[in-house]
Amino acid sequence: MIKKHAQRIYLALIFILLYAPILTLIALSFNSSKTRAKWGGFTLDWYVSLFQNEDIMNALYTTLIIALLSAVISTILGTMAALGMQGMKKKYRAIFASISNIPMLNAEIVTGISLMLLFITLHMTLGFKTILLSHITFNVPYVILSVTPKLKQTSKSTYEAALDLGASPTYAFFKVTLPDIMPGVLSGFMMAFTMSLDDFIITHFTKGPGIDTLSTKIYTEVRKGIKPEMYALSTLLFVTVLLLLILINTSPQKDELPAKKKTKKRRVGAFLLRRALPAAIVLLFIGGGFYYGSQNASNSEKKVVVYNWGEYLDPEVLTLFEEETGIQVVYEEFETNEIMYPKVQSGAVTYDVVCPSDYMIQRMIENNLLAEIDFDNIPNVKNIGERYFEKSKEFDPENKYSIPYCWGTVGILYNKTMVDEPIDSWSVLWDPKYKDNILMQDSVRDAFGITLKYLGYSLNSTDLDELTEAKNKLIDQKPLVQAYVIDQVRDKMIGNEAAIGVIYSGEAIYTQKENPDLEYVIPKEGSNIWIDSWVIPANAEHKENAEAFINFLCREDIALMNFEYITYSTPNDAARELIEDESIKDSKIAFPDDEDLENCETFHYLGDEADEIYNDLWNKVKSY
Amino acid sequence: MKNKKWLATPYLIWSVAFIIIPLLMIVYYGLTDKEGHFTLSNLAKITTPENLKALGLALLLAFISTVICLILAYPLAMILSQKNVNQSSFIVLIFILPMWMNFLLRTLAWQTLLEKNGVINNILQFLYLPTLDIINTPYAIILGMVYNFLPFMVLPIYNVLIKIDQNVINAARDLGANNMQTFLKITLPLSVPGILSGITMVFVPALTTFVVSDLLGGGKILLIGNVIEQTFKQGNNWNVGSGLSLVLMIFIILSMVFMSKTEKEEGEGDIL
Amino acid sequence: MPNKLIDLINISKSYGTQTVLDELNLYIRENEFLTLLGPSGCGKTTTLRIIGGFESPDCGQVIFDGQDITKLPPNKRQLNTVFQKYALFTHMTIAENIAFGLKIKKKSKKYIEDKIKYALKLVNLDGFENRMADSLSGGQQQRIAIARAIVNEPKVLLLDEPLGALDLKLRQDMQYELIRLKNELGITFIYVTHDQEEALTMSDTIVVMNQGYIQQIGTPEDIYNEPENAFVADFIGESNILSGIMIQDKLVNILGVPFPCVDTGFGTNKPVDVVIRPEDIDLVKPEEGTIQGVVTHLIFKGVHYEMEVLAHNHEWLVHSTDMFPVGTKVGIHVDPFDIQIMNKPLSEDEEAVNVEE
Repeated sequence: MIKKHAQRIYLALIFILLYAPILTLIALSFNSSKTRAKWGGFTLDWYVSLFQNEDIMNALYTTLIIALLSAVISTILGTMAALGMQGMKKKYRAIFASISNIPMLNAEIVTGISLMLLFITLHMTLGFKTILLSHITFNVPYVILSVTPKLKQTSKSTYEAALDLGASPTYAFFKVTLPDIMPGVLSGFMMAFTMSLDDFIITHFTKGPGIDTLSTKIYTEVRKGIKPEMYALSTLLFVTVLLLLILINTSPQKDELPAKKKTKKRRVGAFLLRRALPAAIVLLFIGGGFYYGSQNASNSEKKVVVYNWGEYLDPEVLTLFEEETGIQVVYEEFETNEIMYPKVQSGAVTYDVVCPSDYMIQRMIENNLLAEIDFDNIPNVKNIGERYFEKSKEFDPENKYSIPYCWGTVGILYNKTMVDEPIDSWSVLWDPKYKDNILMQDSVRDAFGITLKYLGYSLNSTDLDELTEAKNKLIDQKPLVQAYVIDQVRDKMIGNEAAIGVIYSGEAIYTQKENPDLEYVIPKEGSNIWIDSWVIPANAEHKENAEAFINFLCREDIALMNFEYITYSTPNDAARELIEDESIKDSKIAFPDDEDLENCETFHYLGDEADEIYNDLWNKVKSY
Repeated sequence: MKNKKWLATPYLIWSVAFIIIPLLMIVYYGLTDKEGHFTLSNLAKITTPENLKALGLALLLAFISTVICLILAYPLAMILSQKNVNQSSFIVLIFILPMWMNFLLRTLAWQTLLEKNGVINNILQFLYLPTLDIINTPYAIILGMVYNFLPFMVLPIYNVLIKIDQNVINAARDLGANNMQTFLKITLPLSVPGILSGITMVFVPALTTFVVSDLLGGGKILLIGNVIEQTFKQGNNWNVGSGLSLVLMIFIILSMVFMSKTEKEEGEGDIL
Repeated sequence: MPNKLIDLINISKSYGTQTVLDELNLYIRENEFLTLLGPSGCGKTTTLRIIGGFESPDCGQVIFDGQDITKLPPNKRQLNTVFQKYALFTHMTIAENIAFGLKIKKKSKKYIEDKIKYALKLVNLDGFENRMADSLSGGQQQRIAIARAIVNEPKVLLLDEPLGALDLKLRQDMQYELIRLKNELGITFIYVTHDQEEALTMSDTIVVMNQGYIQQIGTPEDIYNEPENAFVADFIGESNILSGIMIQDKLVNILGVPFPCVDTGFGTNKPVDVVIRPEDIDLVKPEEGTIQGVVTHLIFKGVHYEMEVLAHNHEWLVHSTDMFPVGTKVGIHVDPFDIQIMNKPLSEDEEAVNVEE
């Protein structure tokens, strides 16, 4: 008895472990607050807006289509291979089996990388096709794994009996062997489908622009904070599968009833409930997938491929642009300049318009990666303030390649209730008092820039001694740091997780709205002033569309929409004039005075060698 | 059923094109520099202190997670295997069900649970218990690994356990063995194949993950998977990235060889 | 008569709604070879498992050597089991398998070695010590399973259809081997089988079971020659089971013809079941028989011919060394002591016990 109770308690504990995160996610899907750090009350809004969010729906259906196609193809390939292996000599079979085991046993990261290298070498465009090929590759072994044991159980004699009775080999296979191994084939299919659905790592390496599966979409969003619609979607998926399983699982018990006790009506009802309904749900999902897929595939010539920071554009703007111009936008997001650069450089993906930061633009210009912009095609450029073009000359000396989109500073966001002194210096980031209460930026240049400034150097220093000093300073700081994050500073500060965080000025405005205890300051030692500008890569395939796109974004009403959505300072003076809220229009955070910026510098591109030094030193910090 | 060897041909071609050749490409990139000249320096990159530390930490965390998974999974698999078929198939499905909630989201949810002002700490505070401060530490990463990879340990062990003939257990009891002796001398040795495949299925992904450490380590903890991912995705250095991947592969192969060896030794083990 | 070694008192067992054993009472004497015989699902294996300690009865007691062992776990019972599919430990060598029980009992190394040698000799497998269990043939594995059980010197050996998986020839060899073993060891065997021939060959006592009830207990001769009801008659060997009416003592009406018999005490004009073994029917000239019929089928079976005779609208099964071609008119004669009279089942409960294979 005691043993039974102990078993129950143990099972319960494991269940809590497994389901605590899932319940959390379900709860978050009903949270009316946009940030996961705060409970804002119950709402069903996310379930409504989910179906209006094309990004997520597209990702969902891409995921489902890839899962379905890869599962079907790998089931066929795998079943054939399993059959073929039966006919092989033992030695060859062993070799073949161990080759097919490789994707299962090898690290996913290695499989993903190896496939990426192959596709790029073959000059295949990374996209739907490459993801599909990769998924098939790692799915087949699971099919073989579940079909082979069934084949071993099947007696040869039934197949031979069928031949003996006059069946052709094909007929015998489909009528005798296949039904015998069907359970194995089906479970192989299910396994392949599930593995494909849940895969992230391999997709991460083999995907291209404009295409996202749920996993990669979520990974991009992690930096910024997951969109609540994602929780709603996951909840829906989870509940659907749960229902399917319950329906299918209750069926065998009913079958145990003696046949005579079942009325015909009941049997029909049971059939509908257990077979037809699940099948209908599955068909609905898959059918929807093809519908969305076909929608996506249309209009392949009139399009523009945009590569932008995460959450850096009001999605409504894209819809407006598509409606007004008829140009389809393929939209992809990146998290850091360093992630963006190699993608553009490798040319595996041809983007039409990209939004890098100052120093990265300089690097791209120096490496001849950018095309000159035809300003005649962008009349709205007049809305952009002259002083921003002036600033841009630091990285684009002739103002030929870039048009400013957003700008801002890097500063300290602090929680007034959690610090006791006025904050005006970077030194607070090294104050042991705030151990575990500091959020640092997880990017090389920002982290070093801050430290160099604090030490009194230029944030564009290439002096090895200065850099080493900065590195040591960062290592000193590491025990005090709660986490190195990028955009998550926002959620964490709102949720009172930390006292001090390094943040971009644009995020500060949003966080203050959500948590009035937060305050933003540009430290007196000076900081980074940055400009993100639109550029057109040299290999762009739709340059005119790209210019139309930039022009559209420079329109004052559109720029205002974007400003209100992303809260980053806009260089669009005409748009600033349109801001109704005076406190924001004159906000020191959004539009600091020139004296606040006195000690501030923009980042410069320092050359590959210096970059490598920075990266090396940063790795030393991170792995210390 | 002869002459059906040809059925394997499509997959044979497939596996050469998408398994063998890509691996050879990693070998090629790993052993050349940017100009395409042969070099061992990419492999040697593993010996820099930071990379060694990342590798060492990855090995350590993977080892600990695997051990914890084993300790948690074995009793679980035993309990499940003793249930009758219908119930247990349902329970097994419950284990697979979480996989339909995206694995990134599931892992991310632990952030919400573990944070300083997260759900767990709120509950602990409510109960006047000391709070749990493991977010952004290796402990959180271990938790994430155990959480994500536990099913991969449970299922193989469960599969072996349900195949053990109940009469073999009865035979041991019949011959005078008590519960403990029966477990140590019969059940455990017979389940070794399941344990080994469980260990491989947990250890390899745990060793090479970059996602769990990314999401739960607060960016402070770099594992070898993170180093490789960054080298490719941010550093864009395919040669060094491939070199490091090669080293990783060597570790994976080594651990597998070790497994298959212990398996043999167990099989012929001297129990007298 | 030797003492009762095991006494099962009022044992009942059910799984869910299905009753497997219903108030079963049975005792086993020391040094007896007792066989539990019946079709699958009759409760014989459950009975064995209750004795072995692998199942506990819902109610009732298991008395072993005067002591109540109902709640004792299997490892504390002084009996050993040979399992249906041998249940050898596949991860151990033969020697390790045999040594298993002795090592648990912490016997000395020397003792264990001697015992292994002795046991392997006993089952005619000397020199197999270091083979792995799954490298042996079925018959060999079965012997090892027996050896593994008997080295523990149990007072009782339980055997659960041990020969079921073997082929005919091997099965027959093993039957003799088991009898020899039992005589050499001088211990009690409780044997479960559904094979009536096996039961008849080896047993001292046969317990025929069906649907959780004991149908008959007796020596092989009793069971074969004087089945107590139609089920036993049908299950043990082939037989003609006919409805008859007991006219008076020693005279029974079968198919309208009076047959003299030796049974008494069934009353007058009482419906009964009549069993006549096919080998007990003599085919004679038509005029010499009690009733007349025509041969409709003829098959050569080796030791005898099997024939079917249609007489009074009934197909009589006949075994005879004399051959009568199909179409021959014959007379049927049965000696009175070869006619076995049985009561018809009365209640519905007993109906359930009836012929149902």
